[in-house]
Amino acid sequence: MRLNITIGGKAGQGINKVSQILSNVLAKYGYFTFNYRDYQSLIRGGHNFNTLSISDEPIESHDAKIDILVALDERTIKTHKQSLKKNGITILGDQFKNLGRNQNVALAGSLTKALGIPLEILEKEIQEQFKESAEAIKATEKGFESEKKLHHLKKLKNSPTILSGSQAIAIGAINSGLQLYVAYPMTPATNAMHELAKFQKPTTDNRQPTTDIIVFQAENEIAAASMAIGASFAGKKVMTGTSGGGFDLMGETLSLQGISEIPLTVYLAQRAGPGTGVPTYTAQADLDVALRSGHGEFPRIVVAPGNPIETIEKTSEALFLAEKFKTLSIILSDKHLAESEFSSTLKPAKTPKFKIDRPIPGKDLVKNSSYESDEHGNTTESYTLTEQNVNKRIQKYKDIKEYIQNNFEMIKTHGNKKSKNLIIGWGSTSGAIKDAIKNLDAKFLQVLYCKPLSPQIKKEIENANKVILVECNATGQLGRLIREKTGIKIHNRLLKYNGRPFHSDELKNLLIPMLK
Amino acid sequence: MKNKKNSATAGASPTHSEANSSTKSTLTAKRTPNVSELGTSQEVTWCPGCPNHMILAAVKQTITNIITPPNNSSDQQSDRQAKRPTSEATDKLLQKDFVITTDIGCHAKIFDYLNLSGIYCLHGRSIPTAIGIKLGNPNLKVLTFAGDGAAYSEGMSHFIHAFKHNADITLILHDNQSFSLTTGQPTPTSQQGYISKASPLGTFTKPFNPIKLALASNATFVARTNARDIPHMVETFTKAIAHKGFSFVEVIQDCLIFNIEANGKDKLMYKIKDNTDVKTAEKLADEFDYNSKSGKIPIGIIYQSNEKSLEEKWPQLIKQMNKE
Repeated sequence: MRLNITIGGKAGQGINKVSQILSNVLAKYGYFTFNYRDYQSLIRGGHNFNTLSISDEPIESHDAKIDILVALDERTIKTHKQSLKKNGITILGDQFKNLGRNQNVALAGSLTKALGIPLEILEKEIQEQFKESAEAIKATEKGFESEKKLHHLKKLKNSPTILSGSQAIAIGAINSGLQLYVAYPMTPATNAMHELAKFQKPTTDNRQPTTDIIVFQAENEIAAASMAIGASFAGKKVMTGTSGGGFDLMGETLSLQGISEIPLTVYLAQRAGPGTGVPTYTAQADLDVALRSGHGEFPRIVVAPGNPIETIEKTSEALFLAEKFKTLSIILSDKHLAESEFSSTLKPAKTPKFKIDRPIPGKDLVKNSSYESDEHGNTTESYTLTEQNVNKRIQKYKDIKEYIQNNFEMIKTHGNKKSKNLIIGWGSTSGAIKDAIKNLDAKFLQVLYCKPLSPQIKKEIENANKVILVECNATGQLGRLIREKTGIKIHNRLLKYNGRPFHSDELKNLLIPMLK
Repeated sequence: MKNKKNSATAGASPTHSEANSSTKSTLTAKRTPNVSELGTSQEVTWCPGCPNHMILAAVKQTITNIITPPNNSSDQQSDRQAKRPTSEATDKLLQKDFVITTDIGCHAKIFDYLNLSGIYCLHGRSIPTAIGIKLGNPNLKVLTFAGDGAAYSEGMSHFIHAFKHNADITLILHDNQSFSLTTGQPTPTSQQGYISKASPLGTFTKPFNPIKLALASNATFVARTNARDIPHMVETFTKAIAHKGFSFVEVIQDCLIFNIEANGKDKLMYKIKDNTDVKTAEKLADEFDYNSKSGKIPIGIIYQSNEKSLEEKWPQLIKQMNKE
């Protein structure tokens, strides 16, 4: 069972409110949802929409074809009419215009009725959300009365939790005991900053923060990364986060990390580039820069979770490994993962806990340098020491690789595990692939560690008859990485690079002829 | 999801308790064995006669004064100890509590010559790195060394924001009006007309006045001192370190090799009384324009005010300061 609802309007009309209320109602009613947010880089006007996908089983994507269109303006109808299925319906926001702020609540009422969910579930949700709920309850009733029962959703026993990728970054970081997050605002990384910043304040029920985390806004990304290095040196668990252009600015600091060996974890949320690009839209085009940014040769780790549960796990692993190996960890996400809302009943794996027990200033005498240095931390230009230090860094990467191979999940396989059709993908695209191959003769190999890369990938490719690469970029960056590490070129590629993620139905239609 | 482990990752779940104990092979933070000496055995590579030697001596003297417990002093030393400025802010500091960050440039070689914890930073980044150290541990006493090229060119945004953040850090800024380690290109404080290999037609731009810039950025401590006057440097550094907040000390120094036209400003310098008045500070800042040698150059505390430092504002940092 799968239904898709698109809610569209101008920025500022509150479309997020409608999908948020409805997602919570559906979670209470035992359904899984996935909410895709398509919005422009503006505060008022333009055209924004959410597509809320609903299913009785776990989903991590939305469809292109929709069952219900909720239009808060004319433009929404024009833009999305052709996506509406044959027996799909349109609900107009205009009918509740006189309700003011409660227009969105009324629309949630209409949708609740259209889905065949009892009104009291919505009322309960409204009472939880609004302190003064009398007016809003009236609005839900108005909305509920306005529609016919179109679908007949039965109550299910699941109780999923809804999380965005940004919230997951924060949860993973807090689980690992993060003490400082320094950043400069940049979409789509900023929401992780907002989520972490919340931990500094007392909760709504006035409980004091359970952590002493500091969220600090620096004057630019260079300062953010430099401050992160400084605080890490001082003995704290630290992370910084940014997107494309900001990550470029951090490049020199990544290189500093390489030589100074001060642990550093960077959250990189990709968006469509180059340059300012399409700032509020998605892409998987920064894998190359994540793998290579920073001059010189030094070890690093690049993890690429595909959903919030994996994001919680991989964020903790990234922080753990950065400290354990005094290295650079990069958590690669993107707008689609960071800002979509996923529902899941799964729990993340146990957090790899760690303490900082390296020498730290104040207790020990510690010197770290951007120069090649001797055993005291003082500058050296000696060719023997230079070579020795380079060899140490090379050896360190070997140790990192071995440790990760023995301890962490580097790849996952989904779908028909016996299939000879192998689809390879990573990051946020995994959701659409997983949903697209349900009932197809295909196995999906999801890459979770881009550096180091699992040696298992080569075996999987060799065992398959047909290999298809699916990525949200124009040049197949993961494909190139696999070719570099295995010598195997993947010829079949499905690449999307218009700033929008794959829809699962769209991807399924593209895959079917290729699998024949 | 997690249970469906692929064979590639088969193996026991991580034994995280040993995570830190097994890091010795990769643990590369450097430790210097002897912490009793402020100097190191590193070869000093500043030019003979370079005022950086004197700045190093003044820094060592300042820190020695602060970390030497008064009751340990012998009778011969009692004179010096008597003169030792006391301050609540620096009374209990030990050598291990000091952390330095240095930039890149001739000045930054001081990193190798001081037996203190620290980071030899990238060019332009000694200030934000120092702020990071304070965010990491507000109980550390952080000194930042930067040159005029580093702080005012590559690191200008950090320099200005440092006053806004007002972290409890002392910036010792070596200003010789030249990028000397890269053989003499003009910096933002080089005089107009300065001819170098990079500017054979002469430098067209007028220099910044960093003191005015600092005042305009709401600095809480601005001082200037002379690299040829060790007692004045020691006095100024000591006051700067005792200041709660971001203290900026400009050290005017000659470069004996590059931009020698800018040298010899000592005779223009005169000592001022510690000043806390903004209007007076602005007048003092205007006296030297870094461009001509016609004016006077006031040295001393040009401005000091009392404002809460970054560490005194963040509740999380206050908590840490009280803990240790």
